Amino acid sequence: MVHLRISGSPALRRGVVVLACTALGLSLAACSSTKSSTTAGAGGAGKSLTIAFVMGAEADPFFKAMKVGADAEAKAKGVNLIWQGDPSQYSPATQIPIVDQVMAQKPSGLVLIPTDPDALQPSVAKATALKIPVVNVDTHVTDLSNVLSFITGDNADGGAKAADAMAKAIGYASGQSYQVVVGLTSATATTNVARLEGFQSEIASKYPGIQIVDKAYSQSQAATANTNVSNWLTKYPKLNGIFAIDGTNATGAAAALQAKGLVGKVALIGYDAYPTNVDLMTKGVFTALIAQNPAAEAKLAIDDLVAKLTGASTAGIQPKVTIPNVVLNKDTSAADLKAYTYVS
Amino acid sequence: MTSLAEHSPPRTDQASRVARRRLIGLFGNQQILLLLVLIAMIGFFTIRNPIFFSVDVFGNILLDWGPVVLIAVGETFVVVSGGIDLSVGANVGLSGVLAAFVMRDLTTAHHGQTLTLIVGTLIAIAAGTGIGLINAVLINYARIVPFIATLATLGAAGGMSIVLTGGAPIGGGPANAITLSVPKFGPFSWPGIAVVALVIVLGLFMHKARFGRYTFAIGSNTFAARGAGINVRRHITKVYALSGLLAGLAGMYLYLRLGSGAPTSGAGGELDAIAAVVIGGASLTGGVGRLSGTVLGALILTTVTSGLIIIGVAPNWKQVVVALLIATAVFVQGLRTSGRSTA
Repeated sequence: MVHLRISGSPALRRGVVVLACTALGLSLAACSSTKSSTTAGAGGAGKSLTIAFVMGAEADPFFKAMKVGADAEAKAKGVNLIWQGDPSQYSPATQIPIVDQVMAQKPSGLVLIPTDPDALQPSVAKATALKIPVVNVDTHVTDLSNVLSFITGDNADGGAKAADAMAKAIGYASGQSYQVVVGLTSATATTNVARLEGFQSEIASKYPGIQIVDKAYSQSQAATANTNVSNWLTKYPKLNGIFAIDGTNATGAAAALQAKGLVGKVALIGYDAYPTNVDLMTKGVFTALIAQNPAAEAKLAIDDLVAKLTGASTAGIQPKVTIPNVVLNKDTSAADLKAYTYVS
Repeated sequence: MTSLAEHSPPRTDQASRVARRRLIGLFGNQQILLLLVLIAMIGFFTIRNPIFFSVDVFGNILLDWGPVVLIAVGETFVVVSGGIDLSVGANVGLSGVLAAFVMRDLTTAHHGQTLTLIVGTLIAIAAGTGIGLINAVLINYARIVPFIATLATLGAAGGMSIVLTGGAPIGGGPANAITLSVPKFGPFSWPGIAVVALVIVLGLFMHKARFGRYTFAIGSNTFAARGAGINVRRHITKVYALSGLLAGLAGMYLYLRLGSGAPTSGAGGELDAIAAVVIGGASLTGGVGRLSGTVLGALILTTVTSGLIIIGVAPNWKQVVVALLIATAVFVQGLRTSGRSTA
């Protein structure tokens, strides 16, 4: 065993160890911190615009993909971009201080992805008082009267598209009965709820023979999702299909199908185009993947704010924009696959 | 129950007192009690849905049991030594992610699957042990209490795996990874058999070898252990390194199961591990515990998970059932010690 020998009093020794650890941590953080994308203004009139994005969990591949779109559009329009969010927690408690801190930097415009519709409402009021226009992306605050535009992916539509993909995958014929299960992350996550509602209502109206026999929650753990699906495959020997409602559930369900040798026998419709899931889809484990388009949402948000701030025509700004989800399957072109796969 | 008996009139003659002590002894034996609980659970789930009593379901349960028992066994050593390791869950995630990166690169470079899996396992072991050693340094040399030291590494390891992966699982490793975790011998898969063998060896280590004696001695009374000539620092270092190593193996096990290393894998696993240890009869004050109890505790936890899905009860009930088990286990433990003191 290595013995750390630092001479001096125990207190001093402890201090040195703590300092060393802190220094190590900070230098590591410095190495990996992303350079703030300060693109120079597009030359000419006045100072360049600064647009701030405050999202939920920065590490989420969904937001990573959104940042790619935001970076590209910020560069094209010559605006500075501030990109801030809690590293991993999707929570108003961590988001509100970040919004305050970003607003202290006096951005020209704010793109807010509120983690809670009510808790973030005062932040919008504060920005309005400072004459900073606000756009909501993905999720929204309860009172949208001071929000320039709300741009979102349509999760209910995504759920409906998943139902259509499911019916196609299991060869739906009226008069027959089919069993499907749904793997969710939590009972309250708004995206989960909207996707499930879309899925259920599409089935109720178009595919009455499909029966949702079970639902369970993974609590953001792929291993838990895997346990759920493994047991369902035992419990329902005649199971026709699985709808994995997000990336985590998709990962767990895909592994369970592969382990039980049921790839191709049980249809699997996943959500979120994580690179690993897209790869598994090309191998046939997923019948189809529903993908959102976070990059397009970010692009539109920046365009709206730039139009508003430069006093250009604001006629194109709509209070609510819904960007449809897309279905990826083995017929999707390689270029489209690349465009929709979330980067990490 | 005991207190009632104690306060009853002194008609208790010698024979019934012996009988009562025997009864307490029997029900105080955590292992037998746990086995009865497990059998009762299997019976209950089977009655509710006969499909539960099948090789397939037991295979599912053992698949879940692997990573839980690995970190729970490491936790048992730590708890018996008088410490606590909160970092095991995050360690599972980070080790799995690091192994996944290396295995992806090896696969891209067209190395063989067996070689890739062996290297991946070694990376996971090295990463896990490394985190265990950092815990040991924080505890032994920075003199931070284990709860805080391992809380720090929990945060650091959990954060690192998200930073490294950007939140998405890392796949692209050997194609046969998932098939390895498919049950081959009844409900047992190859990794499952490896876990069973490892747990048996560690059981001997704990209860029949000097390593275990030192661990119990330190957990019972650190000063006495030091006085008896045990190098406490070195032993504590080994204990946390072992806990980290087992967490690394659990990370690899989860990789084999999911075919990818997910940054959130193992998150919260420390609570499962501590639950298994406490249900198994170890005392969080150190010096008391049996590995067989932990093994059964982990088995009960995973049986509840699968059982509730099979009988179609919302899995959130698992937390309630586990909470009851923990409370009962600690109650029985108190009964046993009071039974002893009145004897």
